[in-house]
Amino acid sequence: MNADPTDTRYPHLDLEDLIAGAAGQPIGDRAREHLASCEHCQREANRWNLVADGVRDLAAAAPQTAQPAQPARPRRTRQRVPAGPWRRALLVAGSAAAALVLLVGVGEATGLVHVHLSGPGTQTAFTAVTGCSQLVQADGTLEQVNGSSLVIKTASGQSVTVTTTATTFVSMSGALLGDITDGASVMVRGSSSGGVIKAAIVTVGQPFSAVNPAGFVPVTGTVSDASTAGFTLVTSSGTRIPVATSGDTLVVVPHASPGQLQIGAAIFALGHAGPDGALSATAVAAISQLPSGPHLGVSVKDCSPSSIDEAVAAISATPASAS
Amino acid sequence: MSDPHRDVGAATFTASHDSARDDAGLLRRISQGDEDAMAWFYREHGRVVFAQVLLVVGERALAEEIVQDAMLAVWRGAGSFRGESSARSWVIAIARRQTRDRLRGHRGQRLRVVDDAFLADQPGSGPGPEVMALDRAELADVRGAIGELAPAHREVLGLAFGSGLSLPEVAGVLEIPVSTVKSRLTAARTALNRILNEKGQNR
Repeated sequence: MNADPTDTRYPHLDLEDLIAGAAGQPIGDRAREHLASCEHCQREANRWNLVADGVRDLAAAAPQTAQPAQPARPRRTRQRVPAGPWRRALLVAGSAAAALVLLVGVGEATGLVHVHLSGPGTQTAFTAVTGCSQLVQADGTLEQVNGSSLVIKTASGQSVTVTTTATTFVSMSGALLGDITDGASVMVRGSSSGGVIKAAIVTVGQPFSAVNPAGFVPVTGTVSDASTAGFTLVTSSGTRIPVATSGDTLVVVPHASPGQLQIGAAIFALGHAGPDGALSATAVAAISQLPSGPHLGVSVKDCSPSSIDEAVAAISATPASAS
Repeated sequence: MSDPHRDVGAATFTASHDSARDDAGLLRRISQGDEDAMAWFYREHGRVVFAQVLLVVGERALAEEIVQDAMLAVWRGAGSFRGESSARSWVIAIARRQTRDRLRGHRGQRLRVVDDAFLADQPGSGPGPEVMALDRAELADVRGAIGELAPAHREVLGLAFGSGLSLPEVAGVLEIPVSTVKSRLTAARTALNRILNEKGQNR
């Protein structure tokens, strides 16, 4: 962190902290504390975050149709192999097997080749996702967290490993009032009475993109005077609004890390099935509770990140009583 | 998402040590000719590599060829992976070399695309009027402006924010010091601000 003689709250975050934060990598507690109270650094962080979001948005959009389908043993297909680079690759490869692997890989990426999972016994814990044939889902109770990998137990008693990467959306929701802390940016949805908002849903951090339950007008701001009974929402204009919370308040943390998930939490994971039976997750949501029945039925409009984001948001913003 | 309600303080993701370990195992299996492992490796990293290459070259067909060549190099050379870097930075570095070779071979005018000296040490300016353009910008504007950046700037932004690599790993891929990565990132953001500012003035 850099010292800034004009600011008594120095040192400010240095570029490495800002970039790490924007890249979604951990930053130190001291840097985080400073960031929570320093408007200068918040502005800088916002700028870098916007740049990073732009890059990720581009990256997510570019391979949207290039997202590989289910990993599978390469198989011959009857798809036509286009001339040009594909044929050249086959020649260059010199190895039919290697060429086929790559052809399938890139073919999957371009939608030219469709393959199907072939690993016996790897599918039973997963169910299809309506709207995107490339995705499967798994849900169950969180048993273990090993770094970036989670182990969940499904309703049928099967243990499933869910792997996450830096690009996996990890969120959590429930009665997480402890996550509402002073300085946190929040979005509050609820009913207003006598100048007090009775919070139905509080989203901590950057909210999901689209979901806003009917009847609620979201109000955003920064948390002040947090307690078990509520907090004061300070809006960007400086207006202070009392917010009451209760055990019925649903707290949503759209951007969490696997390490924040609690053992025993109900987990919903969306991603790709691996040959070893693991689920490589695109999104993981720890939710209030799983609905009764074998599986939480999920549908997405398409395979785009925004559709997945929207689906996870809908699941996360559904109170347990309504699920 | 252009939401002003951005949680700037949240460290949202953590690095995946397990996946690093898994990648080493995958590469061992690939070196033994395991096609399933190759397909899995492709699915784990292909999308990120493709996005990064596409960001630099700007042409989908060419990016696909380069990724294919890079994956072919992985298939052939997995046994040479020594674990000194993450598998992702390793394959991205391979793809970067493939990009350079391809552009050198077919598009001489594009040699500067991955010229390490290009803008590497351009000093970044502090917040000024151009930064204000970034403050006002919507995500869609930023996305569009990134597409107009110089390839070297797109490359470093993609590596820093789109590939899941740490700054030292980005430096390793680009074969430049971390300090140069930082100055290049700052220069990229300055250029982005400039583009946004120009677009704003033209509205």
